Amino acid sequence: MSLFKNIAAIVAIAVAASLPTMWSNPYYIHLMVVIGIYAILLLGLDIVVGYVGEVSLGHAALFGIGSYTAGVLGHSLGVPFLLTIPASIVVTAIFGAILALPALRVNGPYLAMVTLAFGTIIQILINEMDFLTNGPLGITIRKPIYFGHHISSADYYYIVLAALVMTLFVVQRILKSHLGRAFEALHDSPIASDCMGVSVYGYKVYAFVLSAGIAGLAGGLFTYSEEYISPNTYNFELTILFLLAVIMGGRKTRTGPILGAIIIVMLPNVLSDIDLFRKIAVGIAAVTVAYSIYVIATKQRSFKQMALPLLATIALAVSGFYIQDITGQRLTIFGLMILFVVYYLPNGIMGFLRGILLRIRPQWIHRHEVILEHGDKQHVWSVPDHPVTARGNLLEARNIVMQFGGLKALNEVNLEVKKGTVHGLIGPNGSGKSTMMNVLTGIYKPTSGEIEFNGKHITGATPSSIAGEGIARTFQNVQLFGEMTAIENVLVGLHHTYRHSLLDVVFHTPRCRREKLAARVRAASLLQFVGLVDLASEEARNLPYGKQRLLEIARALALNPSLLLLDEPAAGLTAPDIKELIGMINKIRGHGITVILIEHHMDVVMSICDTVTVLDFGQKIAEGTPAQVQSDDKVIEAYLGGTAAA
Amino acid sequence: MLRINNLHAAYGKVEVLHGISVEVPQGKVVTLIGSNGAGKTTTMRAISGMIKPVSGSISLNGKDITGMSSSKIARAGLAHSPEGRRVFATLSVTDNLLLGAFPRLTFGRERGDVPGDLVRVFDLFPRLKERETQLAGTLSGGEQQMLAMGRALMLNPAVLLLDEPSMGLAPLLVAEVFRIIRELKARGITMLLVEQFAAAALEVADYGYVMENGRISVHGPAGQLKNDPAVREAYLGAAH
Amino acid sequence: MDVLAQLIESGIALGMIYALIAFGYQLTFATSNTLNFGQGEALMLGALVGLTLVGHMSYWLMLPLVLVFGAFQGVVVERIGVRPTLKTKSEFGWIMTTISLAIIFKNVAENIWGHDDLTFPSPLPQEPLVFFGVRVLPMEIMIVLGALAIMLAVEIFNRKSIYGKAVVATANDRDAAGLMGINTGLVITFSYALSSMTAAFAGVLIAPLTLTGATMGAVLGLKAFSVAIIGGLNSGMGVIVGGLILGIAETTTGYYISTGYKDVPGLLLLLLVLTIKPAGMFGKSVIKKV
Repeated sequence: MSLFKNIAAIVAIAVAASLPTMWSNPYYIHLMVVIGIYAILLLGLDIVVGYVGEVSLGHAALFGIGSYTAGVLGHSLGVPFLLTIPASIVVTAIFGAILALPALRVNGPYLAMVTLAFGTIIQILINEMDFLTNGPLGITIRKPIYFGHHISSADYYYIVLAALVMTLFVVQRILKSHLGRAFEALHDSPIASDCMGVSVYGYKVYAFVLSAGIAGLAGGLFTYSEEYISPNTYNFELTILFLLAVIMGGRKTRTGPILGAIIIVMLPNVLSDIDLFRKIAVGIAAVTVAYSIYVIATKQRSFKQMALPLLATIALAVSGFYIQDITGQRLTIFGLMILFVVYYLPNGIMGFLRGILLRIRPQWIHRHEVILEHGDKQHVWSVPDHPVTARGNLLEARNIVMQFGGLKALNEVNLEVKKGTVHGLIGPNGSGKSTMMNVLTGIYKPTSGEIEFNGKHITGATPSSIAGEGIARTFQNVQLFGEMTAIENVLVGLHHTYRHSLLDVVFHTPRCRREKLAARVRAASLLQFVGLVDLASEEARNLPYGKQRLLEIARALALNPSLLLLDEPAAGLTAPDIKELIGMINKIRGHGITVILIEHHMDVVMSICDTVTVLDFGQKIAEGTPAQVQSDDKVIEAYLGGTAAA
Repeated sequence: MLRINNLHAAYGKVEVLHGISVEVPQGKVVTLIGSNGAGKTTTMRAISGMIKPVSGSISLNGKDITGMSSSKIARAGLAHSPEGRRVFATLSVTDNLLLGAFPRLTFGRERGDVPGDLVRVFDLFPRLKERETQLAGTLSGGEQQMLAMGRALMLNPAVLLLDEPSMGLAPLLVAEVFRIIRELKARGITMLLVEQFAAAALEVADYGYVMENGRISVHGPAGQLKNDPAVREAYLGAAH
Repeated sequence: MDVLAQLIESGIALGMIYALIAFGYQLTFATSNTLNFGQGEALMLGALVGLTLVGHMSYWLMLPLVLVFGAFQGVVVERIGVRPTLKTKSEFGWIMTTISLAIIFKNVAENIWGHDDLTFPSPLPQEPLVFFGVRVLPMEIMIVLGALAIMLAVEIFNRKSIYGKAVVATANDRDAAGLMGINTGLVITFSYALSSMTAAFAGVLIAPLTLTGATMGAVLGLKAFSVAIIGGLNSGMGVIVGGLILGIAETTTGYYISTGYKDVPGLLLLLLVLTIKPAGMFGKSVIKKV
């Protein structure tokens, strides 16, 4: 972190530490403790919601598991505070792994329902298993006693503050490391993720476990803070509140969760004071009216667009004067807030502020880490993780059949690729080339047939394990991690070079620093190789189409493959770019990497391929040197479209 | 008459069409050829409203249809038989064809003779008549292509867009498809044809545009383009 | 044995309610790839509105009015919660907006009808009929017939009318449907109207048999999602089978284990099915196009 950020953080911690002396009223101290506890949980929730990008409706339940672990151990078994808290973390993390199991192969609404089902089951279990949890009666516990001194609320504030600072530190370290990058990758493009060796299943579990462990910490601390816990605290309303907080505060930030925690803790207080609510509601309506007038007058928006927000805010203000007690409308307010945030503040308050800052002082905002390392020619190439032991054929695919329902996309295809060659795979659209590619990289499991790579059977293996064996690929429809920069994309490909552990990440050990540096130098070198070094800090989705395809090649090379599969690399490239591409492929072959090339550009295929296999309707119709294939009648008719108009 | 003027289109921030101008006169067959990735299908999608152009104009018989939704453009009389056929798999052949005439069956204007047109389409594609109650998803590739074309014809369109009708079809079926295109030409149907098989397309078309990297590189009467060596080499393969 | 038969019988009626709600999930998912996280609340509102109306008119007159209300509620959900989020490809948007609409509806219902559960007058005689030693309430027969009737009506609509075929076409391929001149936006609004309408209908069907209140919808909606998943979000038959399986599992669990745990089988089933076969028991897995 930069010097400015470090100083700001220290000042913030100092201010936070001095708060109990300013507001010594135990009611306020308790509020601040709850804010701190919620902030811890939200930092963990952000990993799932902000980085992996999924809606979790089960975090109140995880929070509850943490609370009850501490409660049961502390109350029934007399386990001390310093052990119950770590126990809460571990037990909740285990439940996080259990939750991850059904969540593995699903996403979006299915995953949200899984988390909701999980949360509901946990609440029922806590309520029903009264031999363990005391059921609806709840558990009472007191704060711990140390050296004869009973921890007071003010003391407990410092404990929670310490826990929050530690959590912030750990979460920041994790999310800024290659782990954070892996989480973002699996959200951006799960297929590319798997094919680059970042297993989507593995990292999903990782994210859930981390998030759950942190929720467990918050839960355990909560038990001692409240000194009484019961099942109906950890309900649907709480889980919605957590989601509202994390979205409104701002996802993918560290300050967002803290801001969100403040909002949701202070909200009920605002809502219970009807006068305060009326003032705020009228204020919001006034601002909306003023903003609408401005925006309609300057023609930025039409009246129709502003009609709904105007109606909603005025109705809210008016309703404030008819209702005596707003707490009964609590959930309606939450619902309206969620709607508001989803439509008008999708990046939360912090995101909104950053957007403003970006416009007036762009140099203060670093959306992505700026990487200063320079690359060079030596660092482009590296040794594959699994050395090539095969002598003749590096890859052998035998009798591959790929059937989708009634359609046979591949019909008994045999493919032998000799080590060190560039092997072309051509054929008309729909002939099965891309299907073959997907079968070789594990995206599809072949209906029958075997694949042997470097002497090892890889039929039916997952894409990430095949990537680990040394096969890398590019995609016909570009599958870059759009929101990451060019160099970050390559760094995902280098994920396999980060061998250090989670502890190394958190404590930034020398080993961690060494591997980071090596990877960055390597990534810069690879970008240099494909000619993208000037665009290293540009977001991948903003790159021109041709450059995106080159970036995919750089990313694939980062895997240290022994076999590189290129899917139409020349598509969308201009003639001079194509010449450079041919040169690149020659260099790749020169370094001992075998290449399988799918291409439509005949000149590319003919000039660099050693062997060419031709597919049509899922079957091999010809194979040989480029010249042989070019003059084969069957090929001319099927592919080059010579006499088709008869 | 379909007129496209200086069309620019993009996928996200990446511009893929850089100022395309094409004219399809009444009753003529115009073809758009070029290698994969040249932008042919993107042009078709921009015309039929599947994607919104960034700038430029498209007019159908004098009516400006730029930026309109695809359903409005269809109702204006532009039929699109899309790349990949995209028939409605769980509906029968007959239902697919009837849906092609949806605007005529529902909004009342210019109804015409829908049952009669259905009979005429079956005459053109006897194989579809044999399978009229079969679910479209179970048809072969060639039959689905027939269905997609027939479905587009059921609109009684002013202009018919055919996007890669020969894709993935065996040579015999490709010949069949082009025979039908010639038949439609004889009936005076205005068509814009995008094709991978440049040779066949130039045989049947009146006029041709060659696309390269999102731009028109060469255009002219089909007969002339057929014999232009540069076109031949780039799109028919260097072997020739 | 008699007890088991009785449990199965009440499980069937319960199961058909689940099937009907799940059917609603399928309708919107087919055409728009979205679903209403507040489907349970649509049921709840239908039941409560029906309760209010039934105080002034007969049950049979109330039915079509509740159906109209349900359709209207569906349009509101679609316009406010779904349509604006369809433009962004992320699912996050409509998941959160339909959840927020659900909690708003529930809160409003609590304020209008109160927090307590109310009884809904039964339109049919309360004495059970006896078939082979099994007691069957007339209302339960009506539930099964009513649910089947409405699902059949939608099926016929889809098969016979050109508008129905347009809906199926949109479900098959939204872009291609647009090319036919079909206003796919309107189709999506319509499917939401239909979906909430069937949920409201389910609400007035089940209300006479259970307690009616603002909280009745939430867990029903979640469990019906289990059924929709088991049935596969694109298969019509599957929801009936799934609903019956769940209904019977719940009545038997409630009796043999304990009523506190009766909601658990449905939820566990959901987790189990999604772990093993994410596309559901009858669903077709989507082939990734790379």
